[in-house]
Amino acid sequence: MPLNDVTPMPRRSSRCFAAIGSAVLGLLLGTAALAQDSLPQLDLDLPLRLDFSGSWEKDFGRSDNWEDELSRTLRVRQESAARQQSSPGSSRIPSAPPISIGNINLPRSRGRGANMVNLARLAEYISRQNTIEIKQTRDEIRIERSGEAALVCGVEYELQRTFESEHGVEVCGWDGQQLVFQIMLPDDLIIMHRFTVASNQQVLNLLTSVYSKGGDPFNLRLAFNKYQAPRDEFNCIQTLSRGQVCNQSGADLSDVLDN
Amino acid sequence: MLLARYRLNLRHFSTAMVLLVSACAQNIPEPPPRPLNLVGDVVLDQATQIPDEESLLEIGVQIFSSDGGEEDEYQIGDWVFDEIIQKETRFLPHLLKNTLVASNQWGAVRVIPESDPSLDLIVFGEIVQSDGKTLELEIRAIDSSGREWLNRVYADQVDQEEYPESTRFTLDNTFDANNFVEPFQDIYDRIANDLLSVRSTLDEQALVELNLVTDLLYARDLSPDSFAETLREDENGLLKLESLPAADDPMMARVADMKYRHHLFIDTVDEYYQTLYDDIQPAYVLWRRYSIDQIAEAETSRQEASQGNYGGSSGFLSLRQRYDRFKWSKIFEREFSDLAAGFNNELAPAFLELNSQVHGLSGTMEQQYREWRGILRRLFELENGELTTNASE
Repeated sequence: MPLNDVTPMPRRSSRCFAAIGSAVLGLLLGTAALAQDSLPQLDLDLPLRLDFSGSWEKDFGRSDNWEDELSRTLRVRQESAARQQSSPGSSRIPSAPPISIGNINLPRSRGRGANMVNLARLAEYISRQNTIEIKQTRDEIRIERSGEAALVCGVEYELQRTFESEHGVEVCGWDGQQLVFQIMLPDDLIIMHRFTVASNQQVLNLLTSVYSKGGDPFNLRLAFNKYQAPRDEFNCIQTLSRGQVCNQSGADLSDVLDN
Repeated sequence: MLLARYRLNLRHFSTAMVLLVSACAQNIPEPPPRPLNLVGDVVLDQATQIPDEESLLEIGVQIFSSDGGEEDEYQIGDWVFDEIIQKETRFLPHLLKNTLVASNQWGAVRVIPESDPSLDLIVFGEIVQSDGKTLELEIRAIDSSGREWLNRVYADQVDQEEYPESTRFTLDNTFDANNFVEPFQDIYDRIANDLLSVRSTLDEQALVELNLVTDLLYARDLSPDSFAETLREDENGLLKLESLPAADDPMMARVADMKYRHHLFIDTVDEYYQTLYDDIQPAYVLWRRYSIDQIAEAETSRQEASQGNYGGSSGFLSLRQRYDRFKWSKIFEREFSDLAAGFNNELAPAFLELNSQVHGLSGTMEQQYREWRGILRRLFELENGELTTNASE
């Protein structure tokens, strides 16, 4: 199996593949080092991740329509309820988001969770962006969506707490080669984004699940195709007192900062 | 096969998570905020006439250190704020130095990159907390004999009103450095007054002896073998005079010459820190202004959240409100983090300049300082060798 295959792998397997990949890379680098001393150092403790980077646009044909998905979900639930009534011995498996991070001190109230229609509307509300911009380095992946704060995660194996405020907590982690972000909001409202990239790196899938008080989630699947975004004409750097300082791409910005 | 094993693992994973989610359902109250030892309003004790010569101790304010924060609380992107604290370790000592100079109570006061045996009193500081609202410093001051003058934590808190309107400068409203009063000035005034209180407990004899200890300590630093017997440590670990070289001792004349050259060097280093301070002050004050605005905003946001006005409703508008509040709190923090990065970008040339100042020496200012002391030591050995040869001839 190629290292960048999209098939999800259990964590141990992915580590194994990462280790094999690292060893092969290490061997290659070691051989190359004989010819050239100035190769960059590769941190073999960091796992290798699939390349999510690039500009992505929504493929409406292959993405869920939230209303159709809501209808389908409601129908499946009705059928499931009917089956349960006909065979009372069977019990429902409780659903839960995949990540738990312990106590997060967010307000909670009693009562039932939100109904499926409201969860579906929220899933649609938070998935309206038609384009996604992803930057990825050896250490970090940054997902930019218009109107939203960036989703940023490291490439490490461990669960990472990426943002925390009195309004919610965001964590991220890797499930095999899938990148998962989970946002925990007050009153046990949980939003999960699961990113998967195809082995040819031309298709990105995003599964957004919305949970309320441990009930069944509403899932919305979106597909994105890679596109070639136009190159930025300007090279900018953020400063405090002068805001963004820009010049034309390729030129050195240090002179601008000095002045 | 692989896929089947994955599904099995995922089921175990989910089951374990259900148990964890259930186990973590209880809310634990947040710990109360750490009490601060606030300095309050302080008036700097300024001398109206120059104190006696033996009281004019030479002070070095060493660049501060930082405690590095809590590892557990580290989030992605926090390195930006660590970088700011690192810059503050070089900026804040200058504010203390200026206060000590303004008090008119001391000899030369300099910001120094490392502890220096040629100075009577060294002030060390650690930044415990620093943002637009709160400054907390752990300060130690030790004289050349090893006597501890200060060892305590100082804290000060300010309001948004203490930042004048010119700190929100624009092209039309430029920063007025001359009339700007440092919001945390009380903390530096308190430290200066505390140092003065300790000095007032020392009589004339003790101050004269301290000056001599400094001279011999510096001589011992240049040539440990030649001056090994001049100082001894008493039962309290303090350095005491054991024997004094003759007044016309040629080696002591060389030491005085070296000390003069060394002080010219550290005066130059201090000037570079002064230039750095002048360069970055407007951006730093603006950064602090943003910081206190952000703290005020976060406090308002916290109060809103503690009022629990989500209503417990599970309607779409309520769900959307919860998501939007989270989203905006994250965007706001992101913008603040971008400003912090902007602050670091803006200051980078000034720090690069600082580290490339001393011609002929290389590395950071700290490395250049170490290199310079090594050069002086070798020079002293060389000159002293000539002196010994001439004497034997």
